[in-house]
Amino acid sequence: MEFTREIYWNVGHGFTTLAPMYGLLLVALAVFALGFLKRIKVYRLGQPLDRTEQRGERIKHMLENVLLQTKVARVPGAGTAHALFFWSFVVLFIGTSLIVAQADFTDLLFDVKFLKGTFYQLFSLTLDLAGLVAVVMLGALLTRRYLIRPEGLVTKTDDALMHGLLFAILLTGFLIEGARMAVTEMGTPLAGWSPVGLAVAKMLGGLDEAGLRSLHAGLWWLHLVLALGFIAVIPYSKFRHIVTTSANAFLADRGPTGKLTTVNLEDETIEKFGASELSDLRWKDIFDADACTLCKRCQDRCPAFNTGKPLSPMQLVNQIGEVAFANPQANLIETIGRDAIWACTTCRACQDICPASIEHVNKIIELRRNLVLMEGEFPGDEVMAAMEQTEVNGNPLGMGYASRGDWAEALGVKPLADDPEVDVLYFVGCYASFDKRNIAVAKSFVKLCQAAGVKIGILGKEEKCCGEPMRKMGNEYLYQTLAMETVELIKGYGVKKIVTTCPHCFNTLNKDYRDFDFEVEVVPYAVFLEQLVASGQLALKPEAFACTYHDSCYLGRHNDIYDAPRALIRAAGGRISEMAQNRDQAFCCSAGGGRIMAEENIGERINVKRVEMAIATGAEQLLSNCPFCLTMFEDGVKGANAEEQLRPKDIAEILAERV
Amino acid sequence: MNILICIKQVPDMESKFKINGEGNWYDRADLAWRMNEYDEYAVEQAVRLKEQVKDADLTVLCIGPDQVTETMKKALAMGCDRGVHIADADSYKREPIEIASMIASFAKDKNFDVIFTGMQSQDRGSAQVGVMVAELLGIAAVTTIVGFAYDNGTINVKRELEGGSKALVTTTTPVVLTCQLGLNTPRYPTLPNIMKAKKKELLTLAADAGSVGSRQETAAFYFPEKKGGGIVLEGDAAELADKLIHLLKEKTGVLA
Repeated sequence: MEFTREIYWNVGHGFTTLAPMYGLLLVALAVFALGFLKRIKVYRLGQPLDRTEQRGERIKHMLENVLLQTKVARVPGAGTAHALFFWSFVVLFIGTSLIVAQADFTDLLFDVKFLKGTFYQLFSLTLDLAGLVAVVMLGALLTRRYLIRPEGLVTKTDDALMHGLLFAILLTGFLIEGARMAVTEMGTPLAGWSPVGLAVAKMLGGLDEAGLRSLHAGLWWLHLVLALGFIAVIPYSKFRHIVTTSANAFLADRGPTGKLTTVNLEDETIEKFGASELSDLRWKDIFDADACTLCKRCQDRCPAFNTGKPLSPMQLVNQIGEVAFANPQANLIETIGRDAIWACTTCRACQDICPASIEHVNKIIELRRNLVLMEGEFPGDEVMAAMEQTEVNGNPLGMGYASRGDWAEALGVKPLADDPEVDVLYFVGCYASFDKRNIAVAKSFVKLCQAAGVKIGILGKEEKCCGEPMRKMGNEYLYQTLAMETVELIKGYGVKKIVTTCPHCFNTLNKDYRDFDFEVEVVPYAVFLEQLVASGQLALKPEAFACTYHDSCYLGRHNDIYDAPRALIRAAGGRISEMAQNRDQAFCCSAGGGRIMAEENIGERINVKRVEMAIATGAEQLLSNCPFCLTMFEDGVKGANAEEQLRPKDIAEILAERV
Repeated sequence: MNILICIKQVPDMESKFKINGEGNWYDRADLAWRMNEYDEYAVEQAVRLKEQVKDADLTVLCIGPDQVTETMKKALAMGCDRGVHIADADSYKREPIEIASMIASFAKDKNFDVIFTGMQSQDRGSAQVGVMVAELLGIAAVTTIVGFAYDNGTINVKRELEGGSKALVTTTTPVVLTCQLGLNTPRYPTLPNIMKAKKKELLTLAADAGSVGSRQETAAFYFPEKKGGGIVLEGDAAELADKLIHLLKEKTGVLA
């Protein structure tokens, strides 16, 4: 016998079936389209922004993220369940489409049937199993949401609708299959190719054929209405993420990672800077709220949220959405709250993990820009003082600018003003220039360069803050003043290559400064030294030691540099006991986003929390690659009463002890 | 209401100071410059007064070389309406009475209702200019104010006195007020105001101290002699206690 089945069995393939079916489909599609058209009007309340360039890359990224569920599946557990559910649902969708294609197209018009024979056997088995996987995964997700109830997971009526509707669709699907099989396939070799359907058919064994037929017909129409209802309800429920989250993968920021938009301060027609109202944001910022699935991955990783500060990246994104759809005139700063806005360390943990390509950080920066540039507001007087110090002395520490290069005098490192013939310019940064603890790092770096025979120069008293902390705090004007001066200065010396020991300087010079016609190569010291070690130019005498390593946010998540620092530590003889939150999951030290200038007055201290994670590894040394991190950890070991237990050090220091 | 604010550009106190060639003041090289802290309180109070009474015109005045206009721009960005730069490259040599005379000769026919200035400069620190201006103009002066309230022509200020006590003074305009730390927290200029400040009137006038000439001469200018600094003791508690007792016996009479 030929393996196949009669499509539209029991419900008929005549006008009385097809007309209401396609009629309802059209209604569902119309409701769907209307829902999104309404939402598009709201997205358009935002400022214009072109997110269609690099189309090929964008499509590729979207297909990867949607079809392969790459970002979703990054978090095992719920992420895996979602991916499996998604794939099985896609299989069911394709299966249904094939049925429609044969019954109402190829067979109807050309008498071509392809759902037969071996293909039908496999088709039947695949769909049956996909349905099973979907039911099991949905059950797992339902258990997680309603029984396990992970902390912070927001559950709304939307979630009940989604779980209920999907369950009903899957369940009615199996019942229809079972009823049909109970009448047509019992005892045939084909029945085994639908194991779940067969089991359902057996369960329905008590009914006679008439009963099965009326059950089948009733459920067939119910299943159809549920499935079309699902399509119709997408824009009006959290189901919309199927469209918006997928679209957001296409619309995602294509980098450079973490680079902020440069405000045109020359444009005298701009009267308002930053965002205090919805219409100041870009349409993508509103769309982001619609793409959010409330998965809370951002919140789970946010250093501010996890130390009792009033910032949840998820909540912030959704507050913007609520304002957009309910009250577009509302003041965003009042809605979100200043303490939340100032709490961000721009560590990017939220944005990095977000499966919906949401850009949390630049929204916060826009709000900060408004507070600073339009209101002259800061999180505290100490931050305002640091800004003023930077204006006067070029550093937020308030040290006299003329002594910026003093640390290097005895080391034979000259400012470019005295000797511009160098291999590389060492852009020292404020902390390594003025802060006693970090001067030790600068000196170590010089020692390493000298051991490798690399001639370095510094800018000395001509160097100023790169402007990163000010920019992240919202002070775009001060940042641009500093950036333009620094660009001119460096270009004036004809520098070919710059090395930094501060990842904030690195990120700023290497990404943000590119907006100011700055093309000099910039390399972070970890990468620079790793190349010197790998090529044998820098010979180390390894000495065994145990340590843990902290990935700074700006070398790690902002620049994907995880291996070079670890290779250096190993080359020095280090054995790394990783903290649970390492690499792209690393927990911030607290000092990013300009927070290095601010007191941390709310909640627990982030740096102490990170130090405690380091202590938990049992290592005696906490290595890092950033002056802000080192400063925070020196403070954090005191806060955690662990000065005897854990010594914070910079990688450069460990290496310099071994040349 | 017509308000004058007298400010001075001073070096940032964190700068590396050197003595100049003449040996009578600090060398200007390698210094970072800013507005005298006390004058910032003066500017802020004037701007707040304008915000209160609405109808007021704020003139900021500064004496010194051309570079002082940079500091004046900050005052304009904070909210002053116009700037008057009295050009004098040798202002650092001037005695308080000469500076006060320059200000008074500018202010005498301008009918200022209130003149705000810092209670002293961070570099010379004579604390005389404000009161001398009042004297030369024949109007009242209240010094070292840490509180200010204006109500319909009446000014109530709080003065800081020695030993932490305060005095409440009521005065009417015209008056010179010299401002002290604690009066207010100066604002951070907003970007639109920084932009507007670039277009505000900034007049440069020649210095005119009238018949007043210098009467003093700086005899010498030097860094204080380095005296013994503090001692940091290190070691465990028992060791520290022994060292401390030893030191107290050796160097002081407290255990005698």
